[in-house]
Amino acid sequence: MTVDGRLRVFVVDDHALIRSGIRAELGDAVIVVGEADEVEAAVELILDRRPDVVLLDVHMPGGGGRAVLEAVAAVAPDVAFLALSVSDAAEDVIDVIRAGARGYVTKNISGPDLLDAIRRIADGDAVFSPRLAGFVLDAFADATGERAPTPSVDPELDQLTPRERQVLRLIARGYAYKEIARELGISTKTVESHVSAVLRKLQLANRYQLTHWATERRIL
Amino acid sequence: MSARTLRIVAVVAVAVGGIGLLLYMALWVAVPAADESSSIGGRVVRDRRELQIVFAFSTAVLAVLLVLQAVGLNGLGIPAWSLLVAAVGALVVWRGASPAESSRLRDALNAAPVIGSTPGTGWRNVVLRAALGTILIIFGISELSRVGNFTGAAFGVLVGAAAFVGGFLVVFAPWWARTLRDLSTERRERVRAEERADMASHVHDSVLQTLLLIQKSAGDPSEVTRLARIQERELRHWLFNPAMLGRHADQPETFAEAMAGIEREVEDTYGVGVELILVGDCPMDAELTALVGACREASINAAKWSGRPDLSVFAEVEPEVISVFVRDLGQGFDPGQVPADRQGIAASMVERMARHGGRVAVSSAPGTGTEVELILPRSPVDR
Repeated sequence: MTVDGRLRVFVVDDHALIRSGIRAELGDAVIVVGEADEVEAAVELILDRRPDVVLLDVHMPGGGGRAVLEAVAAVAPDVAFLALSVSDAAEDVIDVIRAGARGYVTKNISGPDLLDAIRRIADGDAVFSPRLAGFVLDAFADATGERAPTPSVDPELDQLTPRERQVLRLIARGYAYKEIARELGISTKTVESHVSAVLRKLQLANRYQLTHWATERRIL
Repeated sequence: MSARTLRIVAVVAVAVGGIGLLLYMALWVAVPAADESSSIGGRVVRDRRELQIVFAFSTAVLAVLLVLQAVGLNGLGIPAWSLLVAAVGALVVWRGASPAESSRLRDALNAAPVIGSTPGTGWRNVVLRAALGTILIIFGISELSRVGNFTGAAFGVLVGAAAFVGGFLVVFAPWWARTLRDLSTERRERVRAEERADMASHVHDSVLQTLLLIQKSAGDPSEVTRLARIQERELRHWLFNPAMLGRHADQPETFAEAMAGIEREVEDTYGVGVELILVGDCPMDAELTALVGACREASINAAKWSGRPDLSVFAEVEPEVISVFVRDLGQGFDPGQVPADRQGIAASMVERMARHGGRVAVSSAPGTGTEVELILPRSPVDR
């Protein structure tokens, strides 16, 4: 963070048009400390400038966003990543979240919403778009054996609590965290911790089940 | 001499030790077609890869022939030789034929009874295929047992044949394998080229046309948004969900397809963006049709009255219940003071759902947007 409290943001996207669009959307609310259009340059510059949050395109030549995530996380685990994508493909989303991104939003997100997401990520919280919430509900419905009974290796990680399910459903219905808190009669902080718990499960849960789910979904 | 007379002469000559077949093959390969400058044989000889395929095939044919002769089926004599040499000739024709000729050959082959792929179904074909196969198998067995009649001789013959085949394999196998590999690479390349062509034609037909339309209507922001949205949805389907393209939107087979139909309709007709999130899926039935209908009404209401350019639809299929939420962040209304015409719409939605054991809940207040909740319990049969 800079002296005046503004967050330092780095943009990785292979399309110049998108990069300048993001810069314009963010305006002066944050400081864009750099941008990169390919994996190697991105890793080098991020490690050099140490931004608070990296906005990461999922689809890029040379290994995609995943390659950047893995290379940076190995050296600088304190850099937070927000995945930005136009793709609806479940396997892409799940892949980049499992590689360590703390959130996923689509590129048609509005400027204020994007800023909000960046702040949340910098605070160490997770950001789920409605679509990601839908994916997670779908994936964990399979994992708990509601549709395809697969034995659960670690029930703690492979299942969502009823409360987490409620929170995800509200996100999928388009509710903001504040509205979810009001609806469920809990604090915004509690909503955030539920979402972070889901993120952790998503990153640690049985790899095979999730991959299986994602590929099944693609075929559907 | 006309082509017809030549063919008749060839057929007659086939009877004489198969020489006619060889002659016909040789002419087919060596003489250019009436409207072409080069012969089939010439084309094959000039292409190293084609030449390699033909030679590999020839060695395989030679191996078969020599084995047949070694096990004592040399009674087949000259007809067998000419038949097998003709097979090599057929391969040359197949590989070297001009595109027009090869498509004609392929059509003829596909339409052929028994081995063709076009008439491959139907019980008549199955019977025909089975009868022919059985006759060949019986012939083979009787022929082999005739050879084996010389007691003791059969074993030696088999060992000899095996050694012979082994020898051929040692000499030619790597080459055959490479040729086969080349052939499959060639097929893969062709498939890839077809996919590329598909992609190019799609981009041309739909993306470029839309971009052109957008440029033309640059002065009309709502039209530009509408066009861009239609194109985005089409492209998305094409990239991520090709299976659903081309299906009839008016006859959805599953709940997800029906919901995607609503998304399409509302976006196109009312020019608002619909964010559709689906969890799970199931086949359509009468109750689901009612649910989808109610969801459609709720979405259209939101699109018409909310005053916002977007709305979200969330639908979840669970084992016991299907729930749908249609939500907008628009102006909202006081459910206690609904104008009569809108009450009618709400009532029809409620009635419709109630008939199938479902329920509707509307929550809204001025300034906070509206959410319509549709809940449909599933009958045990559907699960």
